[in-house]
Amino acid sequence: MTSKTQKARFAGLISGLLLVLASLIAITQKGIVLGQDFTGGYVTVIDLPKQTSQTEMQNKLAELGVQNARISLQNDGSWRVFQTPQSTDETHVKQWIEGLETQWQASVLDASYLGAQVGNELIEQGGLAAIFALLSVLIYLAFRFEWRLAVSASIALFHDVIVTLGLFAITQVEFDLTVLAALLAIIGYSLNDSIVIGDRVRELLFEDQWKTSPVGNTIDQAIKDSMSRTLITSLTTLTTVLAIWWLGGAGLNSFAMALCCGILIGTLSSLAISATLPQFLGLSFNNYLKEESEAAKQQLAEP
Amino acid sequence: MKDINPPTRPSTPRGTSARAKRFFTALIVFLLILCALPNLYPNKNLIQIQASSNEVVSLSLPELKSQLEGEGFKVKQIESHQGGYLVELENRTLTAEARAYMAESNSKLSVKVVSASTMPQWLESTGLKPIKLGLDLDGGVLFVLKVDTEQAAQNKLQSLADEANSLRIKNRYRNLSTPQVISGEQVEVIAKTQGQNELAALTATLRELYPQFTSITHKQGSLTKVNFRFAEAKKAEFDKQLMTQALSTLRSRIEELGITEAVTQRQGTNYIRIELPGVQDPEQAKRIIGATAKLSFHALQEMGGQKLKDKSGAPVSVDPVAIFGGDEIESATAGRDEYGKPLVQLFLSSQGGEKINRFSRNSVGKPMATVFSEYYADPKGEIKRKTEVISVATIQQVLNTRFSITNMQSMERAQELALLLRAGSLDAPITIVKEQTIGPSLGEKNIESGFKALALGLSLTLLFMAVWYRKLGAVAITSLLVNLVCLIGLMSLLPGVVLTLPGIAGLVLTIGMAVDTNVIIFERVRELRRKGIGMVTALKQGYQQAMSSIIDANLTTMITALILLGIGYGPVKGFAITLALGIVTSIFAGVVVSGMLSESLYSKSRKGVK
Repeated sequence: MTSKTQKARFAGLISGLLLVLASLIAITQKGIVLGQDFTGGYVTVIDLPKQTSQTEMQNKLAELGVQNARISLQNDGSWRVFQTPQSTDETHVKQWIEGLETQWQASVLDASYLGAQVGNELIEQGGLAAIFALLSVLIYLAFRFEWRLAVSASIALFHDVIVTLGLFAITQVEFDLTVLAALLAIIGYSLNDSIVIGDRVRELLFEDQWKTSPVGNTIDQAIKDSMSRTLITSLTTLTTVLAIWWLGGAGLNSFAMALCCGILIGTLSSLAISATLPQFLGLSFNNYLKEESEAAKQQLAEP
Repeated sequence: MKDINPPTRPSTPRGTSARAKRFFTALIVFLLILCALPNLYPNKNLIQIQASSNEVVSLSLPELKSQLEGEGFKVKQIESHQGGYLVELENRTLTAEARAYMAESNSKLSVKVVSASTMPQWLESTGLKPIKLGLDLDGGVLFVLKVDTEQAAQNKLQSLADEANSLRIKNRYRNLSTPQVISGEQVEVIAKTQGQNELAALTATLRELYPQFTSITHKQGSLTKVNFRFAEAKKAEFDKQLMTQALSTLRSRIEELGITEAVTQRQGTNYIRIELPGVQDPEQAKRIIGATAKLSFHALQEMGGQKLKDKSGAPVSVDPVAIFGGDEIESATAGRDEYGKPLVQLFLSSQGGEKINRFSRNSVGKPMATVFSEYYADPKGEIKRKTEVISVATIQQVLNTRFSITNMQSMERAQELALLLRAGSLDAPITIVKEQTIGPSLGEKNIESGFKALALGLSLTLLFMAVWYRKLGAVAITSLLVNLVCLIGLMSLLPGVVLTLPGIAGLVLTIGMAVDTNVIIFERVRELRRKGIGMVTALKQGYQQAMSSIIDANLTTMITALILLGIGYGPVKGFAITLALGIVTSIFAGVVVSGMLSESLYSKSRKGVK
């Protein structure tokens, strides 16, 4: 006998796994576009006094000798030109900027250069930080929860990170340092929900009325109990992130996109994955019995 | 209910400890509000105009004003200040441009951008300051430099080889091979059987001159070999010394450029990050900061010396060991000699004076070479060293602590060389690995959009809380506002905290997540109420039961924020700091402050009902 919520959870679990699969395919096939922070290169943000179309801009820049550049119109109306360190050099960048300034009265808002080597170091450092962050929260989880809940929460965590990366692979939005920051924030955030629901499950398992009933029903109840909290918190956080996305300026767009995706996916995965998986892993009140009695024995042993 | 807590005090505690707790909470909130207050009065940027020497500025006030306005800089206010003027422009984003214009138009003036506080007197006297803005909000130039300690070590090795060779020739050690640098790691000298004493003497002299190196002697058939290499422990010390030297040299160079409020800090093991707020033209700064020019004075040596070229390309052979180097120069000024040719006048330290004195006493009538060396990146981005003899002069008399380098190319070159010599030289080549110029209008735009997002996010959240929780919502709203103000106060108070655009995003995100603390508690309270428990007791138990969830939820975010703090620099660091501090303040505001608020709200209202 499975309730409606359980059916929904199972469906969520399966679609979550499919989503991870799709993301992995996207990541390996299309790849993630690394931003200047990781590749090095030249980024120039330009304000043009008149409305210009993408092709016009492209033609103009080609005329000025810009090749292989990533040219994009940002949502605040400014143009962003990204050139890899291999495709150009400093004098050349100065030349086309000057050309644009005199011929189109452009004004430069932000011009930055990063050496390719620093980018490489940052990839290493960033990757290390992400792994370190994952490891430390996993250790924390292992220490904090019964292993079935801990494993499920960490699977949900990986799910969130992979799906967010997948989104970046599909949309081909540049992955830069702020996105990495967002990703780490997601790692922290995604666990919140899992922990709150997990805590609730544990609490209910100790209550007499739930001790004997199937664990699926207990989990349903835990979700029901914490549903309004989950919704409200996700909603307010999502609202603020959307405010950043909408108004926060071009520099924060990809950051807000990552967070937005992470929060949405993180909320769903805490319900469909981290709360559902323990059921398959055989979570029951008995898991705690042994643990408790061991703890009790230890307590007795200590004077 | 399994209430494991012992029966508590009456539900409206009036004990001294509760009162003390309230008092301290109120005190903390009050103090943090005070710390946050200066942010209402942002600093304004002024152009300070003064005569470069100790004179009064010859320009009159109306003249200055019309000159500036003629160039399209609308003046808001001018006041006389210490024999010069302080100018405030209508459009603050033009300040840097106006400074550059003034400095160019009149070379006798020293023109700087200074920031002045707009706080009322009483607030300024507390010494509190607004949050420091990052470059992405303030505009300016950013450099990240790599200090190439490897290259410096290579140079040291090469100089040891040169010195060994020079000693070999000077002392006529005929049984020694030419010293060789092997695979960039060590210097090897080989002696024939009869040359063992010569080798021992050479090794002893070199070890004295180069204490950072160790030597290993070993026999190979009839030959004896000595290998010099960096001692492991000394290498780390050598690197550290180079970094310290680079930092202090760069700091004094920036000071020499007249840029106030620059941030120069170490980043990672061998990077240096320099933020120059308010600077808009990176070119001059880049030339001065990136320069690795070094000056040293050498005797000429016919045999076995270091082969260099002078400006015309003619070979000059000099003693590889300098008589004295740039470190002995205490001050340097550019000037002109009696024929109007530019020169750099040097003042040496007493040690340097002694060295040159000792040398010149025995060498009157002999030539001395001034060697200038600098590093540059070739088109492929590889670091190359360029060493050039800028002059060979005959020593006319015994020299002392004061003398000059004549025959400079141009006055500008003389001035730059003087500046570099004053600020100290760099032994390790530095390369600019990141350069960013953020226009002041972008900074302004970023602040504006950041705060718009904050305002929208905050008001929607507050609105929601008011609608959803009604009366408890008032508690949540107050605690959210307290949270925001405390966070801003804390950020202004702590040194080294810089607000960046991602930092503002962190602020907005904190608001969204801080609600969580209140929501967890209030949902518990609602649940307890449904079980028929009275409001006051429900509140009390709600706060207690929710504690573990709150700590868990915040702890994971804290872990990631701290990790981010470890790797991020600049803007991302700003995000991590805001996030981490936000967790602290949101627990304080969400648990402590809102706990007290809701307690007093309901205990009073219950009395009212009675």
